[in-house]
Amino acid sequence: MAKAIKRSKWPEYLVFIGPAMFFFTLIVIIPFLMSMYYSLTDWNGVSSKATFIGLDNFKKIFMDDDLFRKDFWFTIRFTVVSVLLTNLIGFGLAMLLTRKMKLRNVYRTVFFLPNVIGGLLLGFIWQFIFVKGFATVGELTGIGFFQLPWLGDAATAFWGLVIVQCWQFAGYVMVIYIAALINVPKELIEAAHIDGASKWVMLKQITVPLIMPAFTVCFFLSISWCFKVFDLNLSLTKGGPFNSTESVALNIYYEAFRNNRYGLGTAKAFIFFVIVALVTVLQVMYTKKKEVQA
Amino acid sequence: MKKTLLLLSMIITLIIAGCGNGNNGASEGAGGDASGTKEVTLKVFNFKVEMAEQLDRLAKEYEAENPGIKVVTETCGGGCDYSAALKTKFSAGDKPDIFFVAGHSDLDLWEEHLEDLTDQPWVGDIHDFAKVPMTKDGKVYGMPLNLEGWGFIYNKDLFAQAGITELPKTISELEAAAKQLQDAGITPFINGYAEWWILGNHLMNIGFAQQDDPVAYIEAVKQGQETITGNQTLNEWANLFELTVQYGQPNSLQTDYNTQVTNFANGKAAMMQQGNWTQIQLLDINPDLQHGFLPMPINDDAEKMDKLPIGVPNNWVVHKNSAVKEQAKTFLNWMVTSEVGKRYIVEEFKFIPALKTISADESQLGPLAADIIAYSDAGKAIPWVWQRYPGYEANTSQMASTMQAFVGNQVSREQMFEQFQKTWEEFAAQ
Repeated sequence: MAKAIKRSKWPEYLVFIGPAMFFFTLIVIIPFLMSMYYSLTDWNGVSSKATFIGLDNFKKIFMDDDLFRKDFWFTIRFTVVSVLLTNLIGFGLAMLLTRKMKLRNVYRTVFFLPNVIGGLLLGFIWQFIFVKGFATVGELTGIGFFQLPWLGDAATAFWGLVIVQCWQFAGYVMVIYIAALINVPKELIEAAHIDGASKWVMLKQITVPLIMPAFTVCFFLSISWCFKVFDLNLSLTKGGPFNSTESVALNIYYEAFRNNRYGLGTAKAFIFFVIVALVTVLQVMYTKKKEVQA
Repeated sequence: MKKTLLLLSMIITLIIAGCGNGNNGASEGAGGDASGTKEVTLKVFNFKVEMAEQLDRLAKEYEAENPGIKVVTETCGGGCDYSAALKTKFSAGDKPDIFFVAGHSDLDLWEEHLEDLTDQPWVGDIHDFAKVPMTKDGKVYGMPLNLEGWGFIYNKDLFAQAGITELPKTISELEAAAKQLQDAGITPFINGYAEWWILGNHLMNIGFAQQDDPVAYIEAVKQGQETITGNQTLNEWANLFELTVQYGQPNSLQTDYNTQVTNFANGKAAMMQQGNWTQIQLLDINPDLQHGFLPMPINDDAEKMDKLPIGVPNNWVVHKNSAVKEQAKTFLNWMVTSEVGKRYIVEEFKFIPALKTISADESQLGPLAADIIAYSDAGKAIPWVWQRYPGYEANTSQMASTMQAFVGNQVSREQMFEQFQKTWEEFAAQ
């Protein structure tokens, strides 16, 4: 009887997971395998013939592609800074907005709002703010901060991207942190309070360990968002000035579609995939270890 | 159990039906025959955003004249990456019957997909220089969309305000004029140096097009017989480049196309390096703007410098394996020979026609086009050559990055040319 039930579950699984699996295979797995093949060819994206060239693309990337290395370094710097800031701001906001205050829900909505606007549109809006808005404010007030060439200089363009990235995603991680903070048992906090623990100690010893799963999720999400930053990059700086803010994703896109080296582009994408997967897996393993039960 | 199986099979059928539908849509055009009752669909993939609506109306007119033919247009351009979108369409099997290809390097890339149009009636009517980019081994593969030109567009009122009476034709005169403007409290140049194409395609073009024999020079650099470093003309070109930066607005590296055109139209600067495609936008923003073209001089040889780069930005092409390619050719022919088509090109698209059989004047096209036509008629044109560079826009976008680094004081003039040389060698090696 037990066996019969088990066997009869198969169609159900198939019905519920099958369609998703089908589309996942069609849209993700098959293209992934195809691009693995293309990464071993010199296909230009248009021609009907793609010559198999073995590992030449990978050799080229590792041996003499300064720009790719430079872009990787940029992406890493961008990721480290943005992930830290996004989570810091998101967590800070969550702490504030779980207190009793007026208009709490309005604030929550307002901070979450940037996330609802797509990255591309958001980039264009901020491009306008940096180029026209800041310049006008600078002209009127004479404050040096607003007169900087925000998108026209390597250093400020970097921070411009970081600002917009944090602005977009801090609200999202905030929501996750709020959900976690609400679930921290009140009695633990009360007990600690009676024992005379300071606010800082309570935060460090009780709250943070208890909401560790939220950190796992938020770090995982923000790391992969930052690593794969593309639309924001394209609309805000297009990688400029002088390629100083070109993310790896943008580099891959340019390689495949502008430089007409589709094979090389997919090879880069494959390397990129391996690295992002590695980093996120390590991060999840690390933060998972820190998770505790109340 | 039976129910779930039924459900499952329903879902699968749905999925398969869904996929099948997509294929039907794609092959619909192929099934039709001009003489049959079935409707034939012509798919046009347009790259010029500025003519998207007008093209739709033109398509309607064509449909009215030719029952049984349906012209479907789709546009991607401006902020949309046409070349990437076209490649995606080809990979996906959704191949348009009519699309756009730029000349030279882009022609090499797409050649195997293009129908030979040499025998078309309009080929003889194309201006000779406009035919060159799409001609390979004596065959013509495309119909030029229009003629365009660029240079320094200048604000006549601001020039008068600064007391400039003689228009600058040489670089010394240009510098003097810039100084005079600056002394009068007017920003001489507004540079859109955030845009790679303004730098890499257009500004850079002057340095190559002013060579004694541009085509031979480019070929020689490609073959490694000549170098970019140490070339006299390019060095002179860098003087012009420096001049625009020196007398330009601050923070030019973050000034994009839109900002540049808007600020110029509002009189915030006296000159900008742009083309006649800005005409509609300029007059929309400021209907009273008095403006025209100045050449972009790199030395003091007035006669040689008084020229504008005039060329063909893009070409209509027909997909070779399209089942409706004959209808596609008929449509293109109708566009440049029928009265309706001609009227659309000049009055609706606002194009400078690339065919001798279509005439246009200033009242229809505006002052910028009039200047281009005047320079073109006087034979004072230099060619567009970046389509000949190895790697095409991959090359120009990289050179543009280097130029941005030069503007941002990251590299010296010598390093800039060394970097150009490296870029060229990389793409020539492919």
